[in-house]
Amino acid sequence: MAALRNKSDQEIKDLLNEYGIKHGPLVDTTRPLYEKKLKEAMAKAKVPVTKPSPDRTFYREDQEEVTYVTYQTPVRSEGPSGDGKPYMRSRPEYSERDRVDDKPYSRSRPEYSERDRVDDKPYSRSRPEYSERDRVDDKPYSRSRPEYSERDRVDDKLYSRSRPEYSSGRPYVDEPHVYNTLSSSSYSKPTPVVKSGGGVVKKENTTSSGRLIPLWIQFLVFLILAGFLYFIFTNMESAESSPFNRIQ
Amino acid sequence: MSSTSQKHKEFVAEPMGEKLVNALAGIGEVLGKRLEEKGFDKAYVVLGQFLVLKKDEELFRDWLKDTCGANVKQQGDCYGCLREWCDSFL
Repeated sequence: MAALRNKSDQEIKDLLNEYGIKHGPLVDTTRPLYEKKLKEAMAKAKVPVTKPSPDRTFYREDQEEVTYVTYQTPVRSEGPSGDGKPYMRSRPEYSERDRVDDKPYSRSRPEYSERDRVDDKPYSRSRPEYSERDRVDDKPYSRSRPEYSERDRVDDKLYSRSRPEYSSGRPYVDEPHVYNTLSSSSYSKPTPVVKSGGGVVKKENTTSSGRLIPLWIQFLVFLILAGFLYFIFTNMESAESSPFNRIQ
Repeated sequence: MSSTSQKHKEFVAEPMGEKLVNALAGIGEVLGKRLEEKGFDKAYVVLGQFLVLKKDEELFRDWLKDTCGANVKQQGDCYGCLREWCDSFL
């Protein structure tokens, strides 16, 4: 298909339609332009999207990649060049996505700033990602920055058992735990109980790195925690009330 | 933010008649010469090309780039100028 020049007008028109290139009538002055466009389209078509995703296991992402490449339009492009260079763009994405899925809990920030993972990570996304894009779908809780900054720390300490916060009498001692267990449900449980500074409850959510904690376990842990805190709260109240009675 | 130039304003203010291709916004001396060499010596010829390309922005930009080597800004200016002229007079 090299000799575009020799083709008839009708054939050129058919080819243009085939590649979905918008065009007007084929005239003397427009023909070179359309030939050039056809050439580009044919060259692009020759490079199929064979991105052998090196060591990824997220098939959903692969599909996503493929679909928008075939469109040849920057559907979700953050790439600097706006014209049809989907292939170039897909490559850096893969290298970034790689890291994304391997470490669900140690999300380094720059990666997320490039891509936001919608599907399989319901919790913990690093900050810049949200500041750049708002993902409505899978985050039922708000995306304000301070929350993320808290969460950020939370998630960092999630698996590193160092909790200096607990030793200090901060009122939010228990909140990280709450956040931890709640990581996929709503935040808005400030647990006023916490103020009493009761339990240094260490729910060891020891999960293997790279594995997500099943949701039901987290809920269970949260319920246990909440019950425990309530128990403490109740006890404390009774303790306070008794001296009052004695005085009278 | 696209402020139109004086040239643009003058061009779209009246029918183009026999104006030279230099009168188009974005087309200066150098580009004008190149266009003339290719046979587009009057503004209305370029208008003709614009219309044959169905007033499509991308096609016209590409064509302009190929024909006289206009850069993005020049392409945009010329396209905008012609489009507005067409809106008023066509």
